[in-house]
Amino acid sequence: MRPGSTSSACAALLHRDLLLAWRRRGDIAMPVLYALIVGTLFPFAIGPDPALLARIASGVVFVTVLLSILLSLDGLFRGDIEDGSMEQLMLAPQPLALLVGMKILAHWITAALPLIVVAPMLASMLRFPASAMPVLVLALLLSTPLLSLLGAVLVALAGGARRSGMLLALMLLPLCVPVVIFAAGAVSAAQQGLPWAAPMAWLGAGLAMAVVLGPLACAAALRIAMDT
Amino acid sequence: MTVADTPLLEARALGFLRQEEPVFGPIDFELRAGEIALVEGNNGSGKTTLMRVLTGMLRASEGELRIGGGAGSLVFLGHHLGLKTDLSARENLDLAVALYGRRDDVTLMSVLAEVGLAGYEDEPVRRLSAGQKKRAALARLLMLPATVWLLDEPYANLDREGIALVNRLLALHAARGGAALVTSHGAVTFAGDTLRRIRLHA
Amino acid sequence: MANWVPLWLHRLSSPQTFYRFAGAVRPWALGLALVLGAVALYGGLFLAPADYQQGDAYRIIFIHVPSAWMSLFIYGVMTVSAFIGLVWRIKLAETVAMESAPIGAAFTLITLVTGSLWGKPMWGTWWTWDARLTSELVLLFIYLGVIGLYHAFEDRRQGARTASFLALIGAVNVPIVHFSVNWWNTLHQGATIRLLGPSHMDSSMIWPLLLMMVATKCYYVASLFARVRADLIAAESGKAWVRDLALGTQERA
Repeated sequence: MRPGSTSSACAALLHRDLLLAWRRRGDIAMPVLYALIVGTLFPFAIGPDPALLARIASGVVFVTVLLSILLSLDGLFRGDIEDGSMEQLMLAPQPLALLVGMKILAHWITAALPLIVVAPMLASMLRFPASAMPVLVLALLLSTPLLSLLGAVLVALAGGARRSGMLLALMLLPLCVPVVIFAAGAVSAAQQGLPWAAPMAWLGAGLAMAVVLGPLACAAALRIAMDT
Repeated sequence: MTVADTPLLEARALGFLRQEEPVFGPIDFELRAGEIALVEGNNGSGKTTLMRVLTGMLRASEGELRIGGGAGSLVFLGHHLGLKTDLSARENLDLAVALYGRRDDVTLMSVLAEVGLAGYEDEPVRRLSAGQKKRAALARLLMLPATVWLLDEPYANLDREGIALVNRLLALHAARGGAALVTSHGAVTFAGDTLRRIRLHA
Repeated sequence: MANWVPLWLHRLSSPQTFYRFAGAVRPWALGLALVLGAVALYGGLFLAPADYQQGDAYRIIFIHVPSAWMSLFIYGVMTVSAFIGLVWRIKLAETVAMESAPIGAAFTLITLVTGSLWGKPMWGTWWTWDARLTSELVLLFIYLGVIGLYHAFEDRRQGARTASFLALIGAVNVPIVHFSVNWWNTLHQGATIRLLGPSHMDSSMIWPLLLMMVATKCYYVASLFARVRADLIAAESGKAWVRDLALGTQERA
């Protein structure tokens, strides 16, 4: 008898979740499509003036990415809770927080990474200057995992509740205000040729904190949610 | 006191209250190596709640619960089988093994043959029948080194042959030093001689 | 040393004892809140002099500022009792946390509405993305999230535990939001009129403000106790003491 080692268990869970996402790869395209549609609507709504579009481009990109992630987060734990896989994870000898962290990582790879790939395209459609593009991508790379981690905690909490996407949005809004402020702040500073390192550093500090605390809070929330 | 003497699972005055109303208990029992215990009771007598307390999903309201083997020594099979329907039996078992470890004397093929799923190892679980899905979940039990099996209504949705299979697996598990706690609301014809009964009253 | 304190607290946390205790305290708290509130309003609206810059418009601070303090104070109470409820599984603490949330949300809403009413003569607009107002708005959303999550569960106890956890997350979040909103405000150079600047206030303005602060606390206690009593009766409806209580009322009636 030998229990599975922690690292191989984490790798296997990550592999399984990525495999599951791959088996349903049509679903991966949905958030990307959603972000493109919402982003495309803006020029129609406010007019095609390049100067105006350039000014709001980074804000539009962040808000659409945030909404897409919110949509895809809804089902993060639902499948596992409904088919009994969550009980298998909770009974496993590995710390639940680590396993949950792997699930969040898998979610980030399948839901947020494609969004980051199309974000520069969306931004240039909105006349976002190419010179500030690296800062935009960097800000997305730091802020999307933060949103995934925060969102995962809330999804875990709402796991035992009656389904409600609206409730999730209401709970996530206060948590993501600082993320949006610093991410969009860094990008607009770069756009104006101002130093953008400070807000980016705050974003990084927030991410470092969330990487440690997020999975722990998420595991605690899941234990409360399964406690019925 | 030798290792064999320590109970694998021990409950002392264990009880659970919901809204201040007792759902079950307080009950006392212990489970030693080689023992199979059948938890009997009508619908609503708290069998599933007892199982959730034993797995640690729920916190007992009163009494004590001692698990001999520590983390990973329990394995649970409930109404939901814990199988991903988009994955094959092989892929499902791979994850279980990575989490819980694998028994040295078995292989994927041997356990699938044991439950009668030989040849279905790469079929997505979605395409299996309800009975075959249950067999795939039973294969997981056989594969893992966990000593205590907690089976919630394992006989549900099974034909005569399936019931015989569950009984055979339980006997095998007991023979190799494991223990199991099985719930059932109906009469079960379990052939083993080591059967103990725990009654829950509604 | 004084080991009657934990003993007393332990006995008070039993629903039956707390029900009686809250019933005894509530009328006094409510009476005190009304009397102090009336005196403070009289002091603030009639006795205090008009502001040399803002005229009479500033008098809204006698509602606005105590409400803003209460919105944070109640969040503090909610956080502490949510923590106690989660860690030591004390049902009364969960109830206090959950019944505090709507009161806190109401005070937050009053703060926002009075702030906006005040903003019209001051800034010439109903709403401005001032750091304090924005933080207060986010606080309202946190309160609403807690209330919404609590009511989204079939099982009240589980709803209370889950929403308590959210309240704790919110408590970590509030200072971060405030910091980020402040930073954002300096970046965008918005309206930076300070509502409560370091300008020294006249003592005739201070005492009604302090009195109002005490009055709102008393009101909170009265309102909270009424809500908790109703909650306890509902949650313990199967218990003997509630049955005795109901029978007793019927006999008297």
